Amino acid sequence: MPDMIALSHPASGHPQQRQFNPYSENGGTILAISGADFSVIAGDTRQSEGYSIQTRYAPKVFRLTDKAVLAVNGFAADGNMFVKQVRQRLEWYRHAHAKDMPLRAIARLIQTMLYARRFFPYYVYNILGGIEEDGSGAVYSFDPVGSYERESCRAAGAAQSLVQPFLDNQIYFKNQVPQPGHPHPKHLPLTTVIQLVIDSFTSATERHIEVGDGLEMFVVLAKGSPLYGLENIDGVQEMTATNDGERLFVVRRNLKRD
Amino acid sequence: MATAAVYSSPGFDFSNEIRNNFLASKGIPLPKATSTGTTIVGCIFEDGIILGADTRATEGPIVADKNCEKIHYITESIRCCGAGTAADTEFVTNLISSNMEMHALTHNRKPRVVTAMTMLKQYLFRYQGHVGAALVLGGVDATGPNLFTIAPHGSTDKLPYVTMGSGSLAAMAVFESGWRKGMSREEALTLVKSAISAGIFNDLGSGSNVDACIITANNTEMLRNVEMPNERVQKERTYVFPKGTTAWKKEEVRKLVVQEEVRLVGEAMDTD
Amino acid sequence: MDHIDMNRLKQGEINLGTSIMAVQFEGGVVIGADSRTTSGSYIANRVTDKLTFLHDRIYCCRSGSAADTQAIADIGHYSLQMQTQVIGAAPTVLTAAAIMEKMCYQNKDQLSAGIIVAGWDKKNGPSVYNIPLGGGLFRQPWAIGGSGSTYVYGYCDATYQEGWGKDETVNFVKNTLALAMSRDGSSGGCIRMCVITEDGVERMFIPGDQLPRFWEGKEILSDVTKKPLAAIAAVMDVAPMAVEV
Repeated sequence: MPDMIALSHPASGHPQQRQFNPYSENGGTILAISGADFSVIAGDTRQSEGYSIQTRYAPKVFRLTDKAVLAVNGFAADGNMFVKQVRQRLEWYRHAHAKDMPLRAIARLIQTMLYARRFFPYYVYNILGGIEEDGSGAVYSFDPVGSYERESCRAAGAAQSLVQPFLDNQIYFKNQVPQPGHPHPKHLPLTTVIQLVIDSFTSATERHIEVGDGLEMFVVLAKGSPLYGLENIDGVQEMTATNDGERLFVVRRNLKRD
Repeated sequence: MATAAVYSSPGFDFSNEIRNNFLASKGIPLPKATSTGTTIVGCIFEDGIILGADTRATEGPIVADKNCEKIHYITESIRCCGAGTAADTEFVTNLISSNMEMHALTHNRKPRVVTAMTMLKQYLFRYQGHVGAALVLGGVDATGPNLFTIAPHGSTDKLPYVTMGSGSLAAMAVFESGWRKGMSREEALTLVKSAISAGIFNDLGSGSNVDACIITANNTEMLRNVEMPNERVQKERTYVFPKGTTAWKKEEVRKLVVQEEVRLVGEAMDTD
Repeated sequence: MDHIDMNRLKQGEINLGTSIMAVQFEGGVVIGADSRTTSGSYIANRVTDKLTFLHDRIYCCRSGSAADTQAIADIGHYSLQMQTQVIGAAPTVLTAAAIMEKMCYQNKDQLSAGIIVAGWDKKNGPSVYNIPLGGGLFRQPWAIGGSGSTYVYGYCDATYQEGWGKDETVNFVKNTLALAMSRDGSSGGCIRMCVITEDGVERMFIPGDQLPRFWEGKEILSDVTKKPLAAIAAVMDVAPMAVEV
């Protein structure tokens, strides 16, 4: 719960200032990786405050459209409100233009929405994943006041410092010299990416107290892309709403609960 | 005559105090000490004491040790669970364990639990809470089973069931609903296990495995990892790097075996 | 000059929120205390014994920091044992209280301890000494202390009378503490009492579900209020103190 903080001694007789702190930090970690024609966006489902678990299932990753998924991490109340407002803007766009907003446009929209609150920010880190209009997988990451860039992989939240170096090594092949005659691949296959995401979260759960309980992983496939063995993954569930466009799937896994 | 300066005086060394205060004022805080976020408990049963602890040690939000030991040895029939600053609980229990051994030797008797409790509380009170050890002390002596908690400022409580650490509320909830007078060994062990489990699963500062220690009049049984509800899961991939993955700037191969030629000069010594 | 906050507790320190009391009567003293020890909003001990042995016929009631008051009581206990060996007889309550007061006064800037010393001795008979927060030694016929005491000064002033016997005094202590505990959030649990006379020390224990009960309010909008007064009186099942004049 946000605290009332007394800044000066209450009985001192001097004027005293009281401050309401509207923010808190609810733990958890999110991560997104893009491939040639797919994008994976994942987050754990634990929501905590201090040493207490508020809930073991609070989604941090949200479907925006069939081709766009938004992961929000930081202060949960701000995150949920922000997603709600982004969705409203996307609906207005649908009514006005009779189509879903393109990914790069959603990214720019999120920037302006975040910057609009430059001096009373949403206390959240956003990662947007999905498929661009050219059919390529994309990931956009944002800071709380709207600075953003397109990347091919990004981790944010409590265990960012544990997961991002692992991703740099495994996705960007940082600090890995290629074997002679075997250059590093430009894009990783979907199955490998899913394995890396799962391993990132099981490892973060081992070493970070705020990560755990459940893993929710969204996979967006480009229009006309094959399933790449996605149908064989345990408990995969299709979330696609429209026909003959991008396809959206969700995979849920249990994480350790301690 | 004054003692030579090579010997340091007993007790804490404050020689870095001024420097560290200066650094703190420049915005460089002291490094984080490893703390045992911790759930520790103790409970009396029909013929003794059971102590329990989780096995997670943390540095802020990071798990520093997934399987540490928080039930410390004081004497053969007295043990102590520690929560708080890991170094403090470790040192204070070692010190008192040592003093208890000396006490036993000088008086030629088995020392009592209250003796350990008094030593601990007087030590902690002297340091006014700066030695951050929160302890659960239990054991069986000539007077029977004894169970205490000792808070960092040196206050003590004597109760039939106790909990301490960040998971103490979760564990106490289990004790308050499940503890009865005169429980059997099995009943008490089950209760202690579920109290620790409540801490492990509901308190972020506690985690991993359950340790327990059963102390009766003529036997002490340390049950290390009696329950392991949080085994590591199999990774999806294997992370083995092929030879040559790590880059290098220069290569230098040196012979570690040194060869030298020994030449005999002059007559050999007469060793007869 | 900055004024010192006597009530401050060190970070995370364990507090005896506390309602304590001691009353003298013809043949001895009755001391009593609630049983709650708190650490912030958490009850660290709900059956605490705040009536602490100092000598055979001298006890103290502790309020303030648990660590400080336990340390003071331990040292006081030790000093009185030494004193007994030196003078070859039981010390007076005044001696005990003076020893305690000296510690509280000389270390006032490091302690938060409010103590009541009470007991019986050959020279003065029963006596009660109050040692408030910064030190000071005051002999009183009755003394109350701790955070809960502020709620019951008026009750004590209105109720206490000289010349009571043991049973009346025990009742007075019991009722005062129950009232204090019901108003003060950091007091509660059960009541522990001791009757100290020349003959010995008798301990008494009132469990939390058997505390004296007083008027506890009623649902203003409920049907009960619409019933005739006689019907309400029958519902009320409270201790005789509630109708005492």
